[in-house]
Amino acid sequence: MTSDTSVPASASTISDVAPEIAPIVLDLEGNASTEATPEAPAEGLQERDLQVRLKSEGGKLLLMLPPEMETEAENPASSLTWSEVLQQLKQRLNAGERLWLADTSVHLIARDRLLDGRQLQAIADALTDAQLRLTRVYTSRRQTAVAAATTGYSVEQQSSIAQLNPSGESAQAMEEPLYLQTTLRSGGDVRHDGTVIILGDLNPGSSVVATGDILIWGRLRGTAHAGAKGNAQCLIMALQMEPNQIRIADFVARAPENPPAQHYPEVAYVAPQGTIRIARALEFSRAQAVGDRK
Amino acid sequence: MSRVIVVTSGKGGVGKTTTTANLGMALAKRGRKVIVIDADFGLRNLDLLLGLENRVVYTAVDVLAGQCRLEQALVKDKRYPTLMLLPAAQNRTKDAVKPDQMKQLVNALTKAFNYVLVDCPAGIEMGFQNAIVAAKEALIVTTPEIAAVRDADRVIGLLEANNIKQVRLIINRLRPAMVQANDMMSVADVQEILAIPLIGVVPDDERVIVSTNKGEPLVLSEIPSLAGTAFDNIARRLEGETVEFMDLSVPNDGLLTRLRKMFSTKLF
Repeated sequence: MTSDTSVPASASTISDVAPEIAPIVLDLEGNASTEATPEAPAEGLQERDLQVRLKSEGGKLLLMLPPEMETEAENPASSLTWSEVLQQLKQRLNAGERLWLADTSVHLIARDRLLDGRQLQAIADALTDAQLRLTRVYTSRRQTAVAAATTGYSVEQQSSIAQLNPSGESAQAMEEPLYLQTTLRSGGDVRHDGTVIILGDLNPGSSVVATGDILIWGRLRGTAHAGAKGNAQCLIMALQMEPNQIRIADFVARAPENPPAQHYPEVAYVAPQGTIRIARALEFSRAQAVGDRK
Repeated sequence: MSRVIVVTSGKGGVGKTTTTANLGMALAKRGRKVIVIDADFGLRNLDLLLGLENRVVYTAVDVLAGQCRLEQALVKDKRYPTLMLLPAAQNRTKDAVKPDQMKQLVNALTKAFNYVLVDCPAGIEMGFQNAIVAAKEALIVTTPEIAAVRDADRVIGLLEANNIKQVRLIINRLRPAMVQANDMMSVADVQEILAIPLIGVVPDDERVIVSTNKGEPLVLSEIPSLAGTAFDNIARRLEGETVEFMDLSVPNDGLLTRLRKMFSTKLF
């Protein structure tokens, strides 16, 4: 029997006192568990959460910019500003540098984002720094198309938003996993509709939101939210689990007040009784092999 | 070839300006031509710390507005003439200057100086963007507190995204006795989070306050101080020398510390 099933009596008492966020409670074996909190934010990933994405397809890279939220244009908090987009692009390029062959051509999918010649040049420069080459621009805005053509890229103007943004509201398969080799520092924010794999540390103040699993090959000291669209089967794994807060689907847990003296690779999952538990990676996979989970 | 170094931290009050003033002075003492730029438009302090307030005639904004030539705005230090200050305007705000203009300004200065030190304002908004735009290197100043370290971490991330790769760490206002009692983050604790090379550790020292108020950077002081020596060492490391880190562990008898305290209270 695995050691992660015994819940100490104190677990429920603590969560009664502070029902908003329950702490992860260490049990006798050094594993942790927590009470569920129904109020946990499970809004999932919405269109406004879209980030700069790089996706390889048929020997070229697609660079997708987040859309501009025209309906809320007067509210700067609702969509990314140009400088934030550019910064995100640079960070993503740094984090995946060695995954692309030099001189790969890049197709920019600008959607409805308005780009002038200078901004296009900034994107092209950032790509050149990563030894990539901007060749083609897809856009639904006439001004962007004109700017791109003037700068000398081949342009494809598509009028229909739906055509550019095929991800409808219907249930869909997740995106391919996002792989990043980077240290995510305070303020760093990764959102992805799929599984996220990070080779590096998550520093305090950073956050990762994924609709799939989250794998951290390093220290997890920020906030991680797996299964953000509500899949409680999702997992969070880290070589060293010291999170501020972890969320799986709509369950929330915070770190225990007294961190364990020693760290092992650990896995966080939602136990059948509706609590987030943490188990050592070795024991977790063994337990899974005998079908103990679920 | 001149080096453009921005001194930044994210959080305010950790000692960016003090560090800039002391490093500028220490480098000038070693015969380098140094220009310190106050990029904190609207809240300028660097001229005070250098004791040059009453010599400021024109500011960077006047230069950009075309009201004077760049050379006219530069203030020569009264002690070491190889140290110059480009003061910030006090009557404008950070939005008065654009990154492009700042870059132009710094590039115009690189020809005449060995070092261009830019004193960055706190925060990560326009003032920060202005200060880092022309820099090739950065010195991150932090104190051993979680808030300062968290902000420093954020700033390091932003610098990386802006292609400033040479980033080094100064831990300021360390109190060895508190570290020993486990009441303060140690150098190792800070480094564990920030994971960038360390270029200096400056102990907390009351005399820094005195020197700030007098407008005389500590590195000029006749009486050697730990903080002053620490800044001197950072300047030497910037120059490429290998300098051992000072032993800041607390002496067992505490006699030296007590003597120094008595001495400094009598003086001031």
